[in-house]
Amino acid sequence: MAETEEEITFKKETVSKLLTSFFKEDKTRISGDAVVLMTEMIKIFVQEAAVRSQKQAEAEDCEQVEIEHFEKILPQLLLDF
Amino acid sequence: MSLDKEEVHQRLKAAVHYTVGRLCQKTGQEHHKEFSRQTIAAIAETSFRQCEIFARDLEAFARHAKRTTVSAEDVKLVARRSTALSMYIQNKSEELNQEKKSTGKRKSKDAEESRDQGL
Repeated sequence: MAETEEEITFKKETVSKLLTSFFKEDKTRISGDAVVLMTEMIKIFVQEAAVRSQKQAEAEDCEQVEIEHFEKILPQLLLDF
Repeated sequence: MSLDKEEVHQRLKAAVHYTVGRLCQKTGQEHHKEFSRQTIAAIAETSFRQCEIFARDLEAFARHAKRTTVSAEDVKLVARRSTALSMYIQNKSEELNQEKKSTGKRKSKDAEESRDQGL
């Protein structure tokens, strides 16, 4: 189980469906490139959320990352995005 | 037999939750801290909602530019708040353009499939 090159990412199709489901106009579409870039962005969002929550847990000397840790970092996370 | 919007969202939420779980697991492994299930669920829910904000912004930017198709330019705008993020997205965008030029054809199906990685 040595190879750690397996990159965890969202499926392009999922991201595409997700974004288009929120569009207000039926005629709005999204280009392939935009989907790829948004896939990256969403992944970064999740990673930021995870790492910041984990750092908060560390700062509070907690063994597990709990929802309180996430809640504390959430405001700044949303402002940063 | 079209799916109810609610059903579509439920499925998408589940897909997001799955990947979020895996990302959290990886982060947890790297820093030797586990994420509680509640936390993963909360991150997944928040990410899902953030996508709605992204989507609305993207649509607005495209419309502002008098386009009906959201483009990479719109994504760059969405990423404007953080300099690091903005640069990252710009670089990725340039990478994509380079790929297109070097393969000399439209974004090949191969590239698309390899990204999908059966998650």
